[in-house]
Parts: sequence; structure tokens; C-alpha cells
Amino acid sequence: MTDPLVTVDDLEKYYYENDTLLDRLTGAEREAVRAVDGVSFEVREGETLGVVGESGCGKSTLAETLMRLREPTGGSVTFDGDPVFDLSGTDMNAFRRRAQVMFQDPFSSLDPRMTAGEIITEPLAIHGVGTSGERRERAETLLDEVGLSADQIDRYPHEFSGGQRQRIGFARALAIDPEFIVLDEPVSALDVSVQAQVLNLLADMQAERDLTYLFIAHDLSVVRHISDRVAVMYLGEIVEIGPTEEIFEDPKHPYTKALLESVPRADTDERDRTVETIRGDVPSPRNPPSGCSFRTRCPELIQPPGLDLPQATFRGISEFRTRIENGDIDVDLRWEQVGDPDREDREAFVDSLREEAFDTELPDAEEETVSEAIRALADGDRETAAATLRERYRSPCEAIDPGLPAGEHPSACLLNEQPEDVETAREEWEADYEAPEAGASSR
Amino acid sequence: MTDLLRVRDLSTRFFTEEGQINAVENVSFTVEAGSVLGVVGESGSGKSVTGLSLIDLVESPGKITSGEIWYNNADLAERVEGDRPEAVDGDFVDLRRLSEAERRSLRGSAFSMIFQDPMSSFNPSITVGEQIAEAAEVQRRASANPRSTRSRTQGYGLGQMLLDGVLPNRSYTSEESWDRAVELLERVGIPDPAERAEEYPHQFSGGMLQRAMIAQALAGDPDLLVADEPTTALDVTIQAQILDLLADLQETMEMSVVLITHNLGVIARVADRVSVMYAGEVVERGTLRDVFDDPVHPYTKGLLGSVPDIDQPGERLEPIAGNVPDLVDANMPDRCYFADRCPKAMTDCLTRPPEYEVSDGHRARCVLAEREYSEADAVPDERFARATDDGTAANDGSTAADGSIASDAEVSDD
Ligand code: SF4
Ligand code: SF4
Repeated sequence: MTDPLVTVDDLEKYYYENDTLLDRLTGAEREAVRAVDGVSFEVREGETLGVVGESGCGKSTLAETLMRLREPTGGSVTFDGDPVFDLSGTDMNAFRRRAQVMFQDPFSSLDPRMTAGEIITEPLAIHGVGTSGERRERAETLLDEVGLSADQIDRYPHEFSGGQRQRIGFARALAIDPEFIVLDEPVSALDVSVQAQVLNLLADMQAERDLTYLFIAHDLSVVRHISDRVAVMYLGEIVEIGPTEEIFEDPKHPYTKALLESVPRADTDERDRTVETIRGDVPSPRNPPSGCSFRTRCPELIQPPGLDLPQATFRGISEFRTRIENGDIDVDLRWEQVGDPDREDREAFVDSLREEAFDTELPDAEEETVSEAIRALADGDRETAAATLRERYRSPCEAIDPGLPAGEHPSACLLNEQPEDVETAREEWEADYEAPEAGASSR
Repeated sequence: MTDLLRVRDLSTRFFTEEGQINAVENVSFTVEAGSVLGVVGESGSGKSVTGLSLIDLVESPGKITSGEIWYNNADLAERVEGDRPEAVDGDFVDLRRLSEAERRSLRGSAFSMIFQDPMSSFNPSITVGEQIAEAAEVQRRASANPRSTRSRTQGYGLGQMLLDGVLPNRSYTSEESWDRAVELLERVGIPDPAERAEEYPHQFSGGMLQRAMIAQALAGDPDLLVADEPTTALDVTIQAQILDLLADLQETMEMSVVLITHNLGVIARVADRVSVMYAGEVVERGTLRDVFDDPVHPYTKGLLGSVPDIDQPGERLEPIAGNVPDLVDANMPDRCYFADRCPKAMTDCLTRPPEYEVSDGHRARCVLAEREYSEADAVPDERFARATDDGTAANDGSTAADGSIASDAEVSDD
């Protein structure tokens, strides 16, 4: 195994809302947005580590924080032995030369009146490398290397196509001869035929110059194509990391499995492939779920000890519970729909909501518990309704926060191997857990 | 299977300061009733303008300049026949020969459209339920008075609603339409639809708003839904949900769908037939199997070869060299538009190839449908003003046909 070039340890980047002076004076609660929530991994010399995840999972914030373009709120990053967040002066300069970053649109932050040559050589100018003549020569060489031509050096960004602009952005990242490049969605704005050109270029340059890449993307096919190892992110955390082949052929985390299954294949058999879509949306990082952050959508949600329902039933009940807890069900409106503004016929209310929430029969005991909860809801007592369901259907996944154990291919899921402290916490939780009788309180 | 729509030689141009842009060039295809036609292409291929042309939403400086769009609707045919016999052929009506008011009256009820960005289809200051009820109300009033196609149009056509966001105030919609809106929201899989109907667009997540836009488009129970990149802005798990929903709606509502996308996987997931577009033309069309398993056109092959395969990571991708032409009329060569990027270009390709029939229903605009590639006839690369993928130098007006050889700009993009 090669040595790590970059080691990220428990990196954390929170943003705070309601944090103005006025908010503090009025006592508004400071709200944390946990963009990156305790992430640890390493990037090994010469490899490409792919980071995938959906929008809002924190992958871009991770890149920016890691490169110290944003200040972290916790954790550390070590680059070739140096603590990045403690560097200053010449050491910081050295880091800025050895590590580069390229974004999806490298030009959005640049002056549109700069020529291709100026764009490429700007990092050299900032670091005072070479004379302006030498820098121009360097730009010409780089243009050739990235598949453009030296005589395009004086053109402006708008004269280039999207694919060519990405090549210029890449030439800029290469200009100062870095060892490590963070590529943040470098091909996602490109058409597929052009995307393939740029991917090939990235691969060629890596081989030629022994570069180490951190490749961030949402497109799983692209990540599989280019990466040696892959980290999967969800709500600011890494839920699984491992060698590319293993992640794609033998995914361990339910989210990774769902993600892989969701990708439509460009193949005539695609229509017959059954895709178990995961339901719902990604929760807000302002208010992530307790325990496992994937539990609100997880198709493998673990049942409490003593309960053994069909998975679909358990999930259906859990989702119903979430609707009640979130206040998604408007009791007044429901009474109106039942056509009973005087709220006399509680059973009609129960039937109507029960009917709508579950399209299948429930086992007797569950039927009873669910009805009991709805009765409380009909009386306008949301808290009791939620508590009734919570008592019987509390999953360990909401009590225990899974972690990423050591190893080549760990995953943060209670179904899989877990770090010792998590295992202990779970054992304690289960020992404390008392399976309640179904509908006990109504009997 | 019966055809719902037969499009013949449709051309749409834009008259801009840079000159005439041939966005859609002599496009022909058929949409079968109750099936999904996938239109696939890269940016600048003309696929979106094709969609807009179908439901007459091309805006100035764009204009449909020629072609026929035959729509299968016996009732409409009967109604129109008296005034415009030339616009009717059996049960089919040529939409291009209807008056603008007649055409507009079909929006929403016959044709509807959804877009990539649902936010732009909703007015941010009106509740989602209200906006869907609005669409339902328009259709309700129209069907209460079916003889007057004009009554449907009074400035509230779905197209205008979707595009302008001009909405009247709440008093316009009836309770019945509100109920219908809730029902539609439920139909597209929005939990607690009655509650959510009262919310504003910004309170919806991207995936939910996409569902709401679909609900709005379905309000008039359309025969044809044009979906332009409906999942492109969505995360892959949400995309899977929306594709499921579209397939389910298409089946249960027996509607036809024209699905426009750059994503070959999305096409494979839902399309029955496929049209591949390049530089404003349909370069290949056929069943999904024809196009994916037996492609004839080198562009189709190139496109399929460019996509990294998630299940079989190959060693190296095979991209298509160069870039798409800019479609400015003056720069469009009088040869196969793909010849400058085509690895199989031959002297035959220096005249514009017609659409050849490969097999029943499978057509390709490429000489390879008729003959084998022969190296002896190959055209050397230098014959072409190589598309340099920089959008300016490619358009020096020289074409292979007039034999001039481009002197600069030899940058091959791989
Ligand atoms: S810990 Fe529980 S909720 Fe989280 S992924 Fe594993 S099974 Fe699913
Ligand atoms: S007609 Fe000729 S140049 Fe055009 S795609 Fe076919 S082989 Fe290539």
C-alpha cells in the first residue's frame, strides 16, 4: 500500500445561521448547518480518490475546506506530513504550490478580459515563478499538452467551447507543477462526447506526471471510470469508502446500493431491470435525523428487538410516524375532508387516514397501534400520537449513530461491522429496550 | 399501433443578428399512441427546439418555417373539415394549417409540456395548489363549451401559463378545480396533497416541485406530454423516482410522451422508439433496440461509445473528436454535417445524404446504410475545415464541397 499524501481527520465545517449581532441580541437560536460533519479519510500517493454524493451532501464544501479555501470548524488535514490548517508564510506558499484545485467552471471567478495565456500563467505570476517570457513559453507548452494549440494563447475565454475551457482550466491547475489536484465536478457541464475527451486527458496527465487526484462528482459512471478508490457521502458524512471495484460490485451501505441501482443504464435491457427507488428527499443539513442520517429513506431500517414485521410494513409505519412527527398532516383539514366539522365521528377520521396511509392490511397488533395513534391525532394530540408509534416502532438506527470502522472497505451502517464504541452503545441500548405490548395502553 | 403524431420535414429557424440559425432541419418522425419517443442529442442538436415546435411554443426570433405536424384526433378533424379541408386527412389534422387560435386551444388539452426547471414554471407568490387548479379550471371551462375552441384560449393556455407565469387571482378557480388539483397532486405521488396544495413553490423540494409541474401539465388530460430534460437537474435517486412516475402515468393515462434528453440511460429506461439528433437533423431513428443494438450512423455509435459504462468499466473511452457545428445557415456545409468528425467519411459523404431505410422503421441519414465503408474512398481529414471546437474558427465559410482546405485550426479534440 502506498503512503497517504493527504490525511483528513474528523474534518468538520459548520455554517451558522441566525448569527448576526441582531440575532444574538434578540436571542434567536444559532442554527448550525452541518455541511461537513466529521469526515476522515486519506488520499494515497498517485491514486485517484473519487468522492460521490448527491447535491447538498457536502462534497464541494469538503474540497474547499480541505484546500483551506474555507476555514474548518473542526478536525485536521495533513499534507505530506504538514498540518495544513497550521501552516503560514512560506510553508503555506509551498502548500499552495503543491496542491491545486479545478472547479466545474474555472472561469466564473476569473476576469473575462484575461486571455488564455494569462489565465494559465496567473498562478506562476502570483508565486513569482519565471520571467514573463518564460511564463508565456510555459503556457504555450501547456496548451499543447492539454490538446489545444499554442497559437490560441491570446484568445479570450468566450472564444472557446466548454470542453476547451475545461482544458484551459486544467492547464492552469498544472502550470505550477503540483502533486495533488482537487477536481470538483470537472466534466459535469460537458456533453458526453466532450466529457470523454476531457476524462481521457485527465487520465493521461495523471499517468505522465504521477499526479494524485481527489475527484468529486455526482455521476457514478464517471467516478467508476476514473477512480482507484471511492468515498460515498451523504448529509456531510462518508457512509462508505473502499476500492472502486468493491464499492461498485459489492456495495455494503444501503445508500450506496440505492445510489448504484438508481443510475439508468444505456442498455436495451434497462427497461426490464427492477429498480427499488428509495423514497423521499434528502433531509436538511440544518436538522439532520438522529442516529443514522440515512434512516429516513433507508430500505433496510432495522426493527427494534422483538419486532419482526415484513420490511415494507415496518417502513410504511415508520414513514407514517415521520409524517405525524413533522406535522405534515393537518388535522383540521382532515376533519373537513371527512365531512364532519363537529368532530364527532372519530372512527370515520381513523378510517379515512388509515386508508390513505396504508394500502395494505396490517397485522392485528399493528393495526391496533396505528389506530390508537390516529385517534390521538383526531383529538388534536399530535404528541401522544407520535409517542404511541415511537414507543413500539423505535429503530436502533435512530438511537445509535453508526461510525466508519478502520479497514479497506468500511461502511457506516449498523448492519455491518462497526467501531467498538458503536457496538457497545448498541448493546447497551438493546439491553435497555423493553418491547412494549401492542396497543398496551388501550387495553 | 396507431400513430398519434406524424411529423414531416419540420424546420425551425432563428433569425438572429449572427444570421439565420437552422435549429431544426427537415425533421421527420412518428409518435405512436400510448408510447414513449425518446429524442436524444447533445447541446445544440436542436432537440429542445423540436419539442417546442411540436406544441407551437417557439418564440421570436424563432419561427417554424416549413413542415407538417399531423395529429390524430377524429373530433378535431370533423370540426375543422368544414372550414379547412386542406388541413384534414382522414382522422388526422395538420396543426401547421390551423389558425393560431385553434392551435393554441390544443395546448394543455391535447399537448402539454414539462421542463427541466420547475421553479421557472411556477409563480413564486401563488400557492402550488392554486396554480394547478388554475390549469384545471381552464380545461374545465373549455370542455364545458367544446364547440368553441376559441373559448379555451382567452390568454390562459397552459403554454402561456407555464412560460409567462401570468396568473389571475384566486377568485378565478372554482372549488371543483381545487379538488382536482389536490387529486392531481396525489396522483403524482405527493404525500399529504391537501396540505401541500396550500404551500408555495419554495416550500417544495426540487423533486416534489417536479412532480407538481407534472401534475399541472396533466390537468387537461393531454394526449401528448413533451418532457424536456425532466430529470436533468435532479439527483439520481430522485431521477429514478420521476422516471418511474412518468412511465406509470404514461401507461395508466394512455398518453404518449416525447422525452427529450441528453442522457442515454434515461432513454433506455423509458423510451420505446428513439430519434438521435445532430446539428438540427434526426440522424437515426428506430426502436430502442435498432438504435442501441444496431446503430448505423457513426454519430450514434460515437455517442454510445462516449458514455462510461457503470457496469463494465472499460480501459479507455472513445470520444468523438471535435465539436458540434454552430448551425448558422451560412456556415452549414453542403455535405453530411457530421463528416468533419466522422471516422468513416468518404467521397460519397460530400453531398447531403438523404434518410435511408435500414430496415422497417429504422432509418439513418448516412451512406453507410447503403454501402460498406471503403478506405479507397476515404476523405482525408484536411478536406474539412476542421471544427476546432472553439466556435469561431470553424466557420470560415469554407466547406469540403468547394474543395478549399482550411489552413489554420487543426486542433483535433483528441
Ligand atoms: S444504520 Fe440503519 S438506517 Fe442506517 S443505513 Fe444501516 S440499516 Fe439503514
Ligand atoms: S454520411 Fe458519411 S460522413 Fe456522414 S456519418 Fe455517414 S459515413 Fe460519416
